[in-house]
Amino acid sequence: MIKLEQVTKKYGETAAVNGFSLEVNEGEVCVLIGPSGCGKTTTLRMINRLIEPTSGRILVNGRDTGQAKPEQLRRSIGYAIQSVGLFPHLTVAANIATVPELLHWDKSRIARRVEELLTLVGLPPAEYAAKYPNQLSGGEAQRIGVARALAADPPILLMDEPFGAVDPLTRERLQTQFAAIQQELKKTVILVTHDLDEAIRLADRIAIMAAGKLVQYDTPETILSRPANKFVHDFVGTDRALKRLSRINVERFIRPAASVALSASAREAKTAIGGKRSAWVVDEGGQLLGWIDKASLSEATSVRQAVVALDTKDIALMRCATLREALSRMLGQGLKSIPVVDENSRLIGEVTLGDVEAATAEAEE
Amino acid sequence: MMIRQWVTTNSVAVTGSFIGLCSLPFGWLTLKTSRLAAGTSLRLWDAYGWSVAAAIIILWLICLALSLAERNRWRSIATGIAANVVLILTFIFAGLNANRLAATGSEFARVSLSAGVWVTIAAVYVLLFAARQSLHNDRVWQNVISWIGLAAVVTLLLTGGLNSLSVVQEFIGRESRFQQEMIKHVLLFGGSVIAGTIIGIPLGIWAARNRRAEKPIFYFANITQTIPSLALFGLLIAPLSALSFAFPALREFGIRGVGAAPALIALIIYSLLPIVRNTFVGLRQLDPAVIDAGLGMGMSRPQVFRRLEIPLAAPLVLEGVRTASVQAVGLTAVAALIGAGGLGWFVFQGLGQAAPDLIILGAIPIIILALVVDAVMRKIVRLSTPKGLATGT
Repeated sequence: MIKLEQVTKKYGETAAVNGFSLEVNEGEVCVLIGPSGCGKTTTLRMINRLIEPTSGRILVNGRDTGQAKPEQLRRSIGYAIQSVGLFPHLTVAANIATVPELLHWDKSRIARRVEELLTLVGLPPAEYAAKYPNQLSGGEAQRIGVARALAADPPILLMDEPFGAVDPLTRERLQTQFAAIQQELKKTVILVTHDLDEAIRLADRIAIMAAGKLVQYDTPETILSRPANKFVHDFVGTDRALKRLSRINVERFIRPAASVALSASAREAKTAIGGKRSAWVVDEGGQLLGWIDKASLSEATSVRQAVVALDTKDIALMRCATLREALSRMLGQGLKSIPVVDENSRLIGEVTLGDVEAATAEAEE
Repeated sequence: MMIRQWVTTNSVAVTGSFIGLCSLPFGWLTLKTSRLAAGTSLRLWDAYGWSVAAAIIILWLICLALSLAERNRWRSIATGIAANVVLILTFIFAGLNANRLAATGSEFARVSLSAGVWVTIAAVYVLLFAARQSLHNDRVWQNVISWIGLAAVVTLLLTGGLNSLSVVQEFIGRESRFQQEMIKHVLLFGGSVIAGTIIGIPLGIWAARNRRAEKPIFYFANITQTIPSLALFGLLIAPLSALSFAFPALREFGIRGVGAAPALIALIIYSLLPIVRNTFVGLRQLDPAVIDAGLGMGMSRPQVFRRLEIPLAAPLVLEGVRTASVQAVGLTAVAALIGAGGLGWFVFQGLGQAAPDLIILGAIPIIILALVVDAVMRKIVRLSTPKGLATGT
């Protein structure tokens, strides 16, 4: 869908981007990453011709971008930047409506689209449409920036550190939301970031750049398990194994867990635990309450006496969690297995440390 | 920040009230036997009578008391109203007593306003300034206290209530001339500001866009601003005279060495700096991310200019025009000296004839004109500020 052929950008004698070639398929998220000054932002801005290449071609759907008028090209490509650049004198709705208005959509269509997009990024239209940018928080502004980029439903989205200017907690939420939106919309996205974790989380393929050149272009798993050279190896860091775990979902590894009702007697509990050392304690509805140790059962007469209560939010995982979170909780709580619950906190099963080790070994192959 | 804590609206109001009280020892009306004679000065109680004098003193004391108390919406309104009442009383009784005194003297006797009245006006201005500031959230009352006093005095003037005052006598003798010069004054300052805007805004845009153009443009604008106005008027006489001799056709258009031409040119040059500078800053202070986003989304350069740069820079540019306008009203007064006419003509006539009333006849309208122009331009700036941008005044 997007093809860069030997693209070069020279400023005087120095080449910011040097013979860069890349191909991004439709519906893929390609993340450009690299150290400062590696040319990733320059490359991004050459795709929508905010910067003109010194040599080389860029093809979008087979057509050379150099031939079209820049304005026409840019109206079909969504653009979201780190400092957002919301127009301060226009309302949120007017901001989002910018490209549709440039394309002469009719008013009712624009109004519907604005509502649709605000809902998509999780901001109630009734409340936010009439606000002005100076009334928005950082996270809200970035979301509106993304909504604005998606307004005319462009097939391609260019994003330059779109989640950079907010605190880590908000950034994580924005990333999750973006991943969900991308699942739904399946845009072709080129995203520039300097945050490797963000790249690993969001990318279908990562393009690592250094000094204007492409160093490795692969899926995150491949980059983590088979770095092409020393540079990538160092860039990715020594905790590659951990990073890899953030790409693996726990769903695959859920195994049935021994559980016993709160109202059960000590003898029933002993039967349920069987050969293991502990079991999870649930209530009538199957909701996770805590765990019980085999050893403590010998003194107690009922489960209620010996149960150790748990803060489900802190310990239990949701289905969509990654193995990295599982490992993090295991280490944090000193447990060898972590319960997995559904939206209603009902116990589904558990994931064990052994599973994590197995997954790591699997990825090494 | 320390200064901020010291100089509050209250302290300005206290100062105003204090100045008001200082007006008391001065003479308020001067009775002269003829236009140019020295005259005897009358104190407030002699000029207006004790009851009015007492009323004025009490009002000033009320203002002082209110100003010393804690700042509060109703206190500000009360202070504003009290100040307006003082102003209105001052002028009503100036008129009435001038009538009385003029009747006692000869046909050539003149009654003129004296220091006490001027100090009163100054005090009222300071007090109203303070009251206005603390009422910035309440547009209705703010406008009432700003204009009611002036409106009353103007009404009084127009209905002949002040006819016995020497200033008005001078005016009555020169009504048509006054109108002529007023029109010339407005045309001069208005024309120069409009021309300055037409030339200055493009220059400002050029300087903002082009780093190489920036230096010479500001060099020129800054240098011209430092030349004293009279000197610039004088400097233009020689070249314009030479031009009008070389091309007699120009004289048909009224372009000569003296008169409106050099005045207009100099006034245009003076308007340039505020307008060019504010246009430049207005464009440069725009968040570059906004422009980048606009271009990146597919706006053409003219569209970026129309939809983003103009609405966002407009308030600042119009502030520049406001500065230039108020400046021009004042500078035009000097233009009279080189034959351009305008209200300054009366000022210089008065200086030449040692007739203070003529000077006042020229000076007061200029001041009022400047205040009106300032108020109108402020309103325009406020109207041009898009919602969603932080508002200033």
